[in-house]
Amino acid sequence: MSGPAAPPVLELRGVYKTFGGAHALSDVDFALSAGEVHAVVGMNGAGKSTLVETMCGAIVPDRGAVHISGRRHTALTPRRARASGVSIVHQKRSLVPGLTIAENLLLGRLPTRFGAVSWREARREAARALGELGIEIAVDRVAAALGPAEQTLVEIAREVHRGRRILILDEPTASLGAADAQRIHRLVRSLRARGAGVVYISHDLDEVLDLADRITVLRDGKRVVTVPAADADLPALVRAMAGDGLRKKIHDAVRAAGEPVLELGGLTAGWLRGFDLAVRAGEITAVLGPSGDGQAELFPLLSGLRRAESGRVRIAGRDVPSGDVGAALAAGMRCVTGDRLGHGLVPGLGVDENLDLVRRGLRRPWLVRWSRMRGHGRDARDRYGIKAIHADPPVAALSGGNQQKVLLAAWLDTGVTACLLEEPTCGVDVAAKADVQRLVGGLAASGAAVLLASSDVDEVAGLADRVVVVRGGRTVADRPVAQVTCDELVALTAGGRTP
Amino acid sequence: MRADAMTALGALRGRVGVNLPAGLTRHLGLLAVLLLVGLITAWNSSAFLTGANLLNVSQQVAVTAVLAAGLTLVMTSGGIDFSLGSVAAVTAGVVARLIASGTGEWTAALAGLAVGAAIGFGNGAVVTVFRVAPFVATLATSTVLGGAALLIIDGQSVSIGDHLDELGFGEVLGVVPATVVVAALVCMATGLVMRWTAFGRNAFAIGGNENAARLAGIPVARTKLLLYTVGGLLAGLGGVMLVARLGAASPGTGGLQLELTAVAAVVIGGTALHGGSGTVAGTVLGVVLLGVVANSLNLLQVDAHFQDVAVGGVLLVAAVTNHLRGRFR
Repeated sequence: MSGPAAPPVLELRGVYKTFGGAHALSDVDFALSAGEVHAVVGMNGAGKSTLVETMCGAIVPDRGAVHISGRRHTALTPRRARASGVSIVHQKRSLVPGLTIAENLLLGRLPTRFGAVSWREARREAARALGELGIEIAVDRVAAALGPAEQTLVEIAREVHRGRRILILDEPTASLGAADAQRIHRLVRSLRARGAGVVYISHDLDEVLDLADRITVLRDGKRVVTVPAADADLPALVRAMAGDGLRKKIHDAVRAAGEPVLELGGLTAGWLRGFDLAVRAGEITAVLGPSGDGQAELFPLLSGLRRAESGRVRIAGRDVPSGDVGAALAAGMRCVTGDRLGHGLVPGLGVDENLDLVRRGLRRPWLVRWSRMRGHGRDARDRYGIKAIHADPPVAALSGGNQQKVLLAAWLDTGVTACLLEEPTCGVDVAAKADVQRLVGGLAASGAAVLLASSDVDEVAGLADRVVVVRGGRTVADRPVAQVTCDELVALTAGGRTP
Repeated sequence: MRADAMTALGALRGRVGVNLPAGLTRHLGLLAVLLLVGLITAWNSSAFLTGANLLNVSQQVAVTAVLAAGLTLVMTSGGIDFSLGSVAAVTAGVVARLIASGTGEWTAALAGLAVGAAIGFGNGAVVTVFRVAPFVATLATSTVLGGAALLIIDGQSVSIGDHLDELGFGEVLGVVPATVVVAALVCMATGLVMRWTAFGRNAFAIGGNENAARLAGIPVARTKLLLYTVGGLLAGLGGVMLVARLGAASPGTGGLQLELTAVAAVVIGGTALHGGSGTVAGTVLGVVLLGVVANSLNLLQVDAHFQDVAVGGVLLVAAVTNHLRGRFR
């Protein structure tokens, strides 16, 4: 194992990148040596993705340069980066599900004899590629039959087999259990032993401390510090990630919480195992936890898209039948998706009609009254601050912030008793973010029970009254936000295992 | 500040391409092509612009228009129905058989409509309950019904004598053929449904984003079921019109040829194959364009086999144009 002292194989010097006025990266230096695991940590929006996209050529920096194996690249493209031996394995797995492991490993480069694929040789070569890395998976299994961890292992093996010496792993263990994560860790260690350089992105700080040689902390697009992992501990990392600014932001407006309005009892479905939760009127409760530990199941369950295996949902004292969208809506439950164009809005239809969608679903009228719809639309646009100069543009033509406001207005403008908001300020600029947060605060003030599923610590600290942490499908912590320090909050959201 | 700029940009984009009055800009190109074909034909053949010829064309396209109107509804919701032509063939066979066996002509016609609606309901059930892709489901029923239509008429022509004369050869106000009036009424009604009823708007929402529609509480399955039923009902009406005009149900009445013409007309009319947008006005223009092209090739004495080539060509050009328009707006 050559230590960090060896000359870097991948180096970024003074990299700047601006997106529409916001500094995604400013003056960031980064160096990776052969045989090193270099972790990058930071909160949401700290610039981790921009940094790795820069390394693999998907983003060209405004200033600064990327050096690969000592060669300076000013116009790096993904193709050139791959040719220089840099590869990224994304969190979203990309094997071809219907093909075997051997075919996936040798995709586009199957060995042939006289023009026909030589399957025997392909299997042998694939088995050797996996065996060298100590991965034990039969090569004639179909990719779709593999678990998520095994798919990641195969993807990494594919990049190594293609001769890449610098691997960027983007949250490879997110949503994996401990045993599966261990398999990934073993592979990363064996890559290091073979002299490859690994850039490791993770939200799990314990994992990072355990696995990495060096750790770089980003905050607000700047490199805060780069330290040997041996010299770092969890509190220090959290402090570096959160900075001092956060401490003051916990809101002090105390809302008077009323009766419990949204009650979940023993809810079991998917990852959730006997999940209990009660949210009172006028209370904003944030649900946190590592992704894949169950909090993402709440959306399909509460909205009625999926039926629970057991357990019950009560809204305002009445049981709501499981798996019935209409019943959930009629009971005053509103689930606002974090995927506004995928599950929330109809992009091709106008703003006014989108604003009317939930009302139409609730009341099921026979006829559409356009003049009344336009009236409602004008009214909602004023109140929610949806700005569009044109009369009624299709939602697809709006900016992200305005789309998000249309989404919230459509769902929250019709007699809300309880609501679940997924990432309400995702992909929204700063001004719109403040607007949206004001809306959510107003919703609670008007007596609705609000469940907030957000991975933005600022937002949780600024909005929530109470924090609930879900892990392994169960509630492991339930505390008023005032009793949670910001460091803990960061650790909880980031998924450190010792809050 | 930045938010304002973003909004302005969004609105500008809206103004440039997407949101001009849909009926106007959308079909200007199609209208121009129609006029061009008309002009060329009129230039080369004095028979084209005569009342008799134009009435003839309108009568020929009436059945296609009725089927295409139903198909526009189904396709706007992101579905497709390949069985409409075969439904028309089956209906024609059933109506002819019933009349030949002594049933009252209008009772037989009503039974025909019921058969069409029932088949449409069946298609809808396969698509919504068993989640079969509409393309596959209706292709299968289309094949089944194609055979069934021949079985019903025993592979022979079944005459209805002079029954259903009022529909097949009747004229309203002494000039306009009854079938054309029926087709016009159907198209207008479909247009109104698509604009002014929750059912019609739900079809747009489902085609534009089925997930969002379901989450908003729109009854997705029920709406789809109803859409396919209406499609089948209109195809049944098309079958009744066919048998009334031809005076008999024969092998080869309706079927795949009619179906493909209807699909082509809807696509030429600008309805998106993936759903979410579509107009009856466009569909009518598409139907008329195909009718005029066929008529023009006839009048110009072009080999009959070239007609299929022409229909396919028009469809291809229309599809490419729609794609380019979608990309550059």
